[in-house]
Amino acid sequence: MDQQHLSGYFDYNATTPISNEVAESMIPAITQFANPSSSNRYSMLSKKAITETRNNVAQLLNTDANKVFFTSGGSEANNWAIKGVLFKHTAKPGHIITTEIEHASVLDTVNYCVSHFGFEVTYLKPNEHGVINIADVKQALRDDTQLITIMYANNETGVLQPIPAISALAKEHNIPLHVDAVQFVGKRRVDVESLNVDYLSLSAHKFYGPKGIGCLYIKDAKSIIPLIHGGGQELSMRSGTENLVAVIGMSKAAQEASLHVEQWDQDNWACKQHMMTLLKSAPIQIKFNGTTAYQDALSNTLNISIKGIRGEALAARMEIIHSYIISIGSACSNNKTKNISHVLKAMSMDEDDIQSSIRVSFGRFTSLEDVEKFVTTLVAEVQRLLAISEG
Amino acid sequence: MYNDIIIDNFSDPRNVGDLESADHELEIGNPVCGDRIKVQLSVTDNLINKAVFRAWGCATSVATANIFCRSIEGQTATEIAQRQPQEIEAMLGELEPSQHHCLHILSELHEKLTAQLNVGAA
Repeated sequence: MDQQHLSGYFDYNATTPISNEVAESMIPAITQFANPSSSNRYSMLSKKAITETRNNVAQLLNTDANKVFFTSGGSEANNWAIKGVLFKHTAKPGHIITTEIEHASVLDTVNYCVSHFGFEVTYLKPNEHGVINIADVKQALRDDTQLITIMYANNETGVLQPIPAISALAKEHNIPLHVDAVQFVGKRRVDVESLNVDYLSLSAHKFYGPKGIGCLYIKDAKSIIPLIHGGGQELSMRSGTENLVAVIGMSKAAQEASLHVEQWDQDNWACKQHMMTLLKSAPIQIKFNGTTAYQDALSNTLNISIKGIRGEALAARMEIIHSYIISIGSACSNNKTKNISHVLKAMSMDEDDIQSSIRVSFGRFTSLEDVEKFVTTLVAEVQRLLAISEG
Repeated sequence: MYNDIIIDNFSDPRNVGDLESADHELEIGNPVCGDRIKVQLSVTDNLINKAVFRAWGCATSVATANIFCRSIEGQTATEIAQRQPQEIEAMLGELEPSQHHCLHILSELHEKLTAQLNVGAA
């Protein structure tokens, strides 16, 4: 899709549009067929592209290239970090610390390790602002804690977790720390070396790169079990011939993010402040879910509950009538089970507020004018839904 | 995601409103998904002259309320009671699995109308 026609796209946390520069970098790669692992003259170009990408991602994270391992994306990176650490302890399964607000690729993987191998887990609950209290992490620590896995930025609320403090605590107790930074990388500057985490996941399509490619940062490769055996790629940690087109796309995306992340963040913050101001003065009753302060939440995300309406119905009208794309905290339910956001539920929000919630997330192709038009349309549609329900 | 019937009836639901003196009122609520629908009817000699609704719920349930109201206007309660389950199901078109609860809503609206107007199903 042409980037000029993205003014109605407000779902950047689901996926970002691929940038023109990234797309252009990938086109010649389609015919670059040579296997990077071969030693013929054609393969040198492919090998070079792999090396460049690893360097670019390493630069984005401020680390060494040999600590960057390609994966198929964030979910694979999360799976690998958790299973790769815990499978070393299957003879004597211990304890895991995570939170109730993680992505499914963390929660389901932890649950798998618990149900199949006998690990025990503590799920930390956030406060009403969506933040995990460092004191709760400390209290959850046990002598047999074998992994802490906590996300950096929540995908639904944008709320940041106190990773620097959690990392310091983990180091003090010599416990490996995995950070799911899929929503964070490309939105704020990351420095894995100063953060001192052991594992960190990222996904290229969250920062204008292609889908199907991501990374796991691994501080010490000896600390984790390889994901895929046979072939020797990725220092024999994740074998298999690389998806060169996607790798090259991630290279350009990482390069762009390294150069522009602060500018993108500032632009997003201006949009967020503008949107909040407009919403606060609109003739509808709203509540921001999760903290919205700059230092505590991503600049591109707002989670809002709107009194008297269903988020699903609002999102449907916004898309069907006006072509706006937003996300919701509560999908349609069947007659037996509820399908409401586990994140907002963990924040002790009441069900009406969850059902009336929407997530708005924007990015580098969003302008202040887009925000104004969006809010005007949103308010009109809320009023229409209120008229349908109340008169 | 939404079929054309749902899109049409949700985008511009023409039977939204209140009657000053309704002859009958049907109210239903789904305890799981929380949808709430209130239908008001103007009825003369078993004939539904006017049907209007208020709804709080998902897009498909709002559309369902509108589809129901449109479909009963100009019909007698006896004719409505003769509708077969397949006929009622077809009124909403093809639905996603998560929208199937609206079939239940539509059936319940039919049942309540039949019961209130005191006509038995065929």
